[in-house]
Amino acid sequence: MTQPSPRSSMRIEGAYQFAICLYPVQFRESYESAMLQSLRDALGDPTLPRHTFLRTLLKDLIQSLIKENLAMLRETVSRPVLVYNALVLIALFSALTLGFVIIEQNSLRQSANDPQLGMATDLASRLARGTSASASVPNDQTDMDASLSAFVIAYDEQGQVLASSAQLNGAVPQLPRGVLDFVRRNGEERVTWAPRRDVRIASVVRHVSGARGGFVLAGRNLREIESRKDLVLEQAALVWLGLLGILFVGTFFFGWLTRAPSPATT
Amino acid sequence: MIVSTPLTPAVFAILLSLAGGDRHGYAMMKDARAPEGGGIAMGPGTLYGTLERLMRDRLVVETDTSDNERRRYYRLTDAGRLALETELSRMDSAVAAARQRGLLPQGGRS
Repeated sequence: MTQPSPRSSMRIEGAYQFAICLYPVQFRESYESAMLQSLRDALGDPTLPRHTFLRTLLKDLIQSLIKENLAMLRETVSRPVLVYNALVLIALFSALTLGFVIIEQNSLRQSANDPQLGMATDLASRLARGTSASASVPNDQTDMDASLSAFVIAYDEQGQVLASSAQLNGAVPQLPRGVLDFVRRNGEERVTWAPRRDVRIASVVRHVSGARGGFVLAGRNLREIESRKDLVLEQAALVWLGLLGILFVGTFFFGWLTRAPSPATT
Repeated sequence: MIVSTPLTPAVFAILLSLAGGDRHGYAMMKDARAPEGGGIAMGPGTLYGTLERLMRDRLVVETDTSDNERRRYYRLTDAGRLALETELSRMDSAVAAARQRGLLPQGGRS
């Protein structure tokens, strides 16, 4: 059998030494010199055909690189304590993120009632003092769908519209009877009113005290608030994914630092 | 320790090689390549990866012997020998069953 040149052997050894860098650090530190020695022994074996060995070496390199790196990953993160801690942290992060989203979205929704609360109270007071609805309600006709401005509507005790500063599709939509009944019993209701499927109004409805009675509604379109709520949800989802990413990297890194040492030798 | 059988071809070839005495890496690769050693074409990556797991399972230990500072020798432990014997016995039973079914000649070399 023809002996390969020393230069060719050195090139193969150099390439193999470079490939060994792709093994996990612990494995590499333990076996690099022994693997190189085995390679030298194989290259120096006159009974071993060079091309057969190189084919075996390449196949072995690919298979064992995958196997050792997967084993390193498995050994790093598959310890029950590590997995348990990671799951607890995931649950904690998820609960915190969910809590933040609920609180923030609720706070945004509540803030959407702010101008209407004052407007409804003022209008109810004026009507209770005997001022007529047409004199108390502004004449300008806000489009409930397009405008983000607040508006008011005055109803009589039976729920018929007396005056309105807003319209939807050229008419003043009727409030659900249940809302009026609730307000008649409780004095006030803060409710999301959907006069049309795609129009949602942050509404404050108050009962008018006095002999004439009636109801006032102050509302405004929730479109802007709902888009802010969506933004909060998107940002919270990004933060949550980021935290999961940090947790994954941290768990892996911690697992790597605290891995069991290599087996003892005699 | 209890070793589940069947052993992988690489584990079997390494244990069989070490059953003949202490060996260094390339000697095991060479033994494994021979038909009577398992007929496994094994490279250094598979060899040392398998040896690491065998040492972790205490079937093999590294010895102090060295004829070269980079050549490391390994030895079969009692548990390793037992695992090899169990595997050989399992193979022997399979060969006997194959003979009974006429898949191999009676009394022939398996």
